[in-house]
Amino acid sequence: MADHSPAPGATTDDPHGVRKELDSPGQLLVVFAAVIGLALVNIFGSGAIGPTKFTLVFQLAIGSVQAWLVAYYFMHLKQADKVVTLTALSSLFWMGILFVLFLSDYMTRHLLIG
Amino acid sequence: MSASTHSPVLKHHFEDLGQQHACERLGMWMFLATEILFFGGLFGAYTVYRLWYPHEFEFASSHLNRVFATVNTMFLITSSLTMTLAIRSAKLGDKGALVRNLLITAALATAFMVVKGFEYAEDFHEHLVPGPGFSADIGKEASDKGLDPGKVQLFLCFYYVMTGIHGIHIIIGIGCILWLVWEAWRGAIPPENYSTVEVVSLYWHLVDAIWLFLMPLLYLAGAGYGAHH
Repeated sequence: MADHSPAPGATTDDPHGVRKELDSPGQLLVVFAAVIGLALVNIFGSGAIGPTKFTLVFQLAIGSVQAWLVAYYFMHLKQADKVVTLTALSSLFWMGILFVLFLSDYMTRHLLIG
Repeated sequence: MSASTHSPVLKHHFEDLGQQHACERLGMWMFLATEILFFGGLFGAYTVYRLWYPHEFEFASSHLNRVFATVNTMFLITSSLTMTLAIRSAKLGDKGALVRNLLITAALATAFMVVKGFEYAEDFHEHLVPGPGFSADIGKEASDKGLDPGKVQLFLCFYYVMTGIHGIHIIIGIGCILWLVWEAWRGAIPPENYSTVEVVSLYWHLVDAIWLFLMPLLYLAGAGYGAHH
C-alpha cells in the first residue's frame, strides 16, 4: 500500500520534492567549458606532440578526465545512490578484467613463441 | 525508502516516487554497463592491433579528416549540456524550456550525423576504404614508408566499425529524444516524471563519453604524423 505522506524536501510548490537536487546552470556551464577545453587541449596537444609512445597515454588521460566530468556532473553520479555508483564502477571493473585477461595473452605470445 | 504524495505517474508496483525513480535510474545504469562492456570489446581489439602495428595505425589515422571530427566533438559535448538542462527544465515544470532543450539536443545530434555523412563521402571519394577499393596511391605511400598497406586497411576496418556502431547509437538516441519531445509536448512529463528524461539522458551522455575515446583512438592517433615522419 503506497504511503501518501509528503516526500522529503517537499514544499507547497514542489509537492514531490523533485527540485531538491536541481542542477545549477552556472555549474553545468563550467563543466561544459572544462570538457570543451580539454577536447581542444587533446586535439591541438596531440598535433604538437606528434605520434610518440607517450601521446596515447596523454590522449587517454584527457579522455578519462572528460568522461569522469560527464559521468559525475551530467550523469549525476555526484548525487547517485550507492547502488548506482557501484553499478557504474563495476562496469569499469569488469572491463578491467577483460583487458587484463586478453592482454596477458596477446602481449606475451612473442615470449612463448620466440 | 522515502514516501511521497500520490501522483498518477506512480506505477502500481512501486511504494513511492522515490523508489520508482531509483529503480529507473538503476535499470538504465545496468543497461549502460552492458554497453560499456560491448564497446570495451571493440576497444580491446583495437588495443591489440594498435600495439602490434602502431606505425600503420598512425599513418592511416593521419589521412582522416580531423576538422570534421573536431566539429562533431563540439556538437556532442554541447548536446550533453542541453540534455542536462532538459532534466532541469522537467524538474521545474517548464514545458517550453524542456521541449526547446530537447529539440536543440536532437538538432545537434542530427548535425553530428550530417557531418559524419560528409566525412564518409569524402573518405569514399578518396578511396579510403578497406578491400579492393582501397586507394592505390595511399597503398604506395605506405609501402614507400616501409609500412604494410594491409595493416593500414585493418585500421580502416576499425574506423568504420567503431564510428558506424557509434552512429547507430546516435540515431537511436535521436529517436528517443524525439519521443521525449512528443511526450513533453502532450504534457506527459510533469515534474514528478522527470526521470523519463533522465534515463534517456544517461544513454545520451554515454554515447557522448564513448566518442571522447573514439576521437583520440581514431582521429588523433596520427595527429602531427606528417611533421614527425
